[in-house]
Amino acid sequence: MIDSAVCIIKGINYMNFQEYDAIDFACDESFQRYCLEEHDKDVLFWQHWISRHPEKNAVIAEARHIVELLSARQGNRLEQLKHLEDGIARYDLLQQALSGEPEPVVILREKRAPRLLKYAAVMAGIALLAGSIFFFYPRNPVPGKNVVINAGKDPRKTVVLPDGSAVVLRENSTVQLSAGFNRENRRLSLTGEAFFDVTQNAQYPFIVHTAAADIKVLGTVFNVSAYTDRQTETALFKGKVEVTPSGNHGQKIVLQPNQKLITGETMPGAVAPLDADPVNHKAKEIAWVRSRLEIENEPLEVIAGKLEKWYGIKVVFADEEVKHYRYSGTFESETILKALDALQLSYPFSFKMLNGEIIISK
Amino acid sequence: MSYEEDNSTYWERLRAGDKQALFALYNNTYSHLLRFGLKLCGSDELVKDCITQLFLQLWNRHATLRPVTNVPAYLFTALKRQLLDQLAYQSKIHAAIHRMTDQEAERELSYEEIIIQVQRDEELKQRLQQAMKTLTPRQIELVRLKFFEGLTYEQIASQTSQTVKTAYNTIYDAIKALRKLLK
Repeated sequence: MIDSAVCIIKGINYMNFQEYDAIDFACDESFQRYCLEEHDKDVLFWQHWISRHPEKNAVIAEARHIVELLSARQGNRLEQLKHLEDGIARYDLLQQALSGEPEPVVILREKRAPRLLKYAAVMAGIALLAGSIFFFYPRNPVPGKNVVINAGKDPRKTVVLPDGSAVVLRENSTVQLSAGFNRENRRLSLTGEAFFDVTQNAQYPFIVHTAAADIKVLGTVFNVSAYTDRQTETALFKGKVEVTPSGNHGQKIVLQPNQKLITGETMPGAVAPLDADPVNHKAKEIAWVRSRLEIENEPLEVIAGKLEKWYGIKVVFADEEVKHYRYSGTFESETILKALDALQLSYPFSFKMLNGEIIISK
Repeated sequence: MSYEEDNSTYWERLRAGDKQALFALYNNTYSHLLRFGLKLCGSDELVKDCITQLFLQLWNRHATLRPVTNVPAYLFTALKRQLLDQLAYQSKIHAAIHRMTDQEAERELSYEEIIIQVQRDEELKQRLQQAMKTLTPRQIELVRLKFFEGLTYEQIASQTSQTVKTAYNTIYDAIKALRKLLK
């Protein structure tokens, strides 16, 4: 152990880790910085090293546990930073949406609102959409004409709607935006199955029409399966949705996160918890859309190719240099925006939507 | 540039509406604020939420912020106020409010108290408490400097007037003992 004292002080040592036990790792300064996410360099190094030494998993887990205990859980700076970035992005989007509006309705502007309420207003947006994304939309969608998006034979197709909401369509599924979407309303109809990550907009509630139900939303993440005329399954992950089964006036059912509702012939349909997969405890309802990306020191160009293939949206680079940024880690996400967002945390870049493509730049 | 100059620069850029400066200031001060908050109340979740909230408000009000000579001191005070508000609101940590508002009784939580309080598992709390009791005061002090204050072995050695090797060995032995008891 005296030998290790010498090498730790010099920083990252590439030699002796194989023989380390949990105490050696816990005492290693680079390893400690990795646990506390203090420096990206250490984080990347250890992610890489650990992925190459699965036989050390148990030892590493124990060492992490020790560091976590003794540091009073000071870790996860990056996760916290992401919360802040999300909150600010949401706040900015809100400001953008409000600019030009003479009578803002939003709590943020209310000076006398209790502090906690303000916080709640800002935090409500968290986890919906991503950090430093810039959206550019075609300014003039053909007026009066309904836009139709079809996934065709692709297993998944991602679209970012004019209001910033992300939709992932499953194969052979179609959404049709109402005329005046994002200008007069946020209504769309769905046949098939889609995953929605909806931005908040108190002025125009987001409404999904299916043959069997109308689903009303105020900023949330959910999956709707409406393959037949008879039955619609709504599975909710975050936020709140209100389902009105068609042909039954006035009856509304409000879903809480991690609940689902099947509406259709056996009306009114009971609310049930989501099906958790016994292996990874993730909801089965969105297994089709969730990607698990294991990256080991790969350039962004290669990663972007994988994302493009999985999510069904074209990704292009505006910048040669960015293509060669390298990343390691495991990423799990339901939309490409979230996946890119996670990557941004380890080494920053920008991305934006333009004409149905995602453009990555420095 | 020194740490202090950095923060002053970020503050000025933040006032001018530079969002990157906000994130830079956040990264620069995060661990200091977190440790400060943990000493006031033993809940890492609450402290982390309050830090996020504090920076959201800074961004919200950046146009009306005033020049500040000591940026970290300003942030510490703001965080303390934030924490007090939250604790009062939740009104479930009476003892902590009392501790923080009552001038005479004001005292920081000890390191052992903090690491035990932030754990949520009751059984683990118990075992951790027992295990910490077996360490010498010297060992606890060095473990605190290393894992809580985040000092390097070199810094610990010079602060405690001993060699790096001795500092490392003391901590190593402490962890070895803890590990045995926590298993």
